[in-house]
Amino acid sequence: MHQIIHCYTKYILYLCIMKAEFMENWHTQLRKGLLPFFVFIILEKKKCYGYELIQDIKVEFDIDVGEGTLYPLLVRLAKEGLLTHQWEEQPSGIPRKYYSISLEGKSALATMKSYAGLIFKKINE
Amino acid sequence: MKAIPFDNHSAQRVYNDYIQRCRKATAILSAKDREEVLLEINSHIYEYLCANSTADQMEALLNVLERLGAPEETLREMVATKKIGEATRTFNPKHLIQALALNLTNGVLYIILSVLFLLEIVFPVLIMLKLIYPDRVGLFIHSNGTFLYGYISKAGSGGISIGFSNPARGTEILGSWFIPVSLLIAVLIYIGIIFFLKFAKKIKMKQNESI
Repeated sequence: MHQIIHCYTKYILYLCIMKAEFMENWHTQLRKGLLPFFVFIILEKKKCYGYELIQDIKVEFDIDVGEGTLYPLLVRLAKEGLLTHQWEEQPSGIPRKYYSISLEGKSALATMKSYAGLIFKKINE
Repeated sequence: MKAIPFDNHSAQRVYNDYIQRCRKATAILSAKDREEVLLEINSHIYEYLCANSTADQMEALLNVLERLGAPEETLREMVATKKIGEATRTFNPKHLIQALALNLTNGVLYIILSVLFLLEIVFPVLIMLKLIYPDRVGLFIHSNGTFLYGYISKAGSGGISIGFSNPARGTEILGSWFIPVSLLIAVLIYIGIIFFLKFAKKIKMKQNESI
């Protein structure tokens, strides 16, 4: 009997770990998938440089994006023509690279917003 | 690029070492793209240090470098993406080879494009062989409908060939047109590779949308 209880406890523990892993994985995938959306939403309001964008995403969406994730994404989005950038000289002599959303990016954002709206509406039905 | 000055000598050494690693990780890029990546990394470090100026300088520097990660890892994707841009912009085979090599692990499409690029080597070889063995190289059509585009050895079996080879030798139909046709095919494949490389991301996105 004691052995059965022990096995059952181990099984429950295993399920909890699996569930936690699954949820963590799901969170990561969701955050990764939504990241371009968050970037567009912030850049729609104002132009930002990389560090500022990371801070704004943290404040607005409570997500701590790694630099190793954000910068390659910015390069990809710029390559797709969804973002534009310009270097601005600073008094320190170390310029900032400001990113802005392009017209194409704004159109993509509008599509994303309407699609996200549709999905959340379905979820809440 | 203006280097960030540090009061702490050790911090300066750590910073210099990190920038040096970034330079090495981006060495494959053009001078302009490389400078742009370095400027952005440098700017990020500087902005982080300014925002955390109350903390110990060395501590703050180590924190931002830890967040940035090893340049060899962090910059890999950026370098690969920028290299594709260089290859599609310049049509330079050197950049194309580097772009394909850097993106080889990024999906089946890049593997297919790499194989197509290897195929490009076959055409100059066939053109050379056509000049040396004019009778054995060409487009051979057999009466049963099969064809062979390439080199046929004396015994009649295919050497370097594209198509459905048949041991029995068919009739060669291109003659001296084989050289311009081969050049044309090679150019078309090259343009095709550049085209697919340019739109690979969009093709991938379309595939994802359809899922």
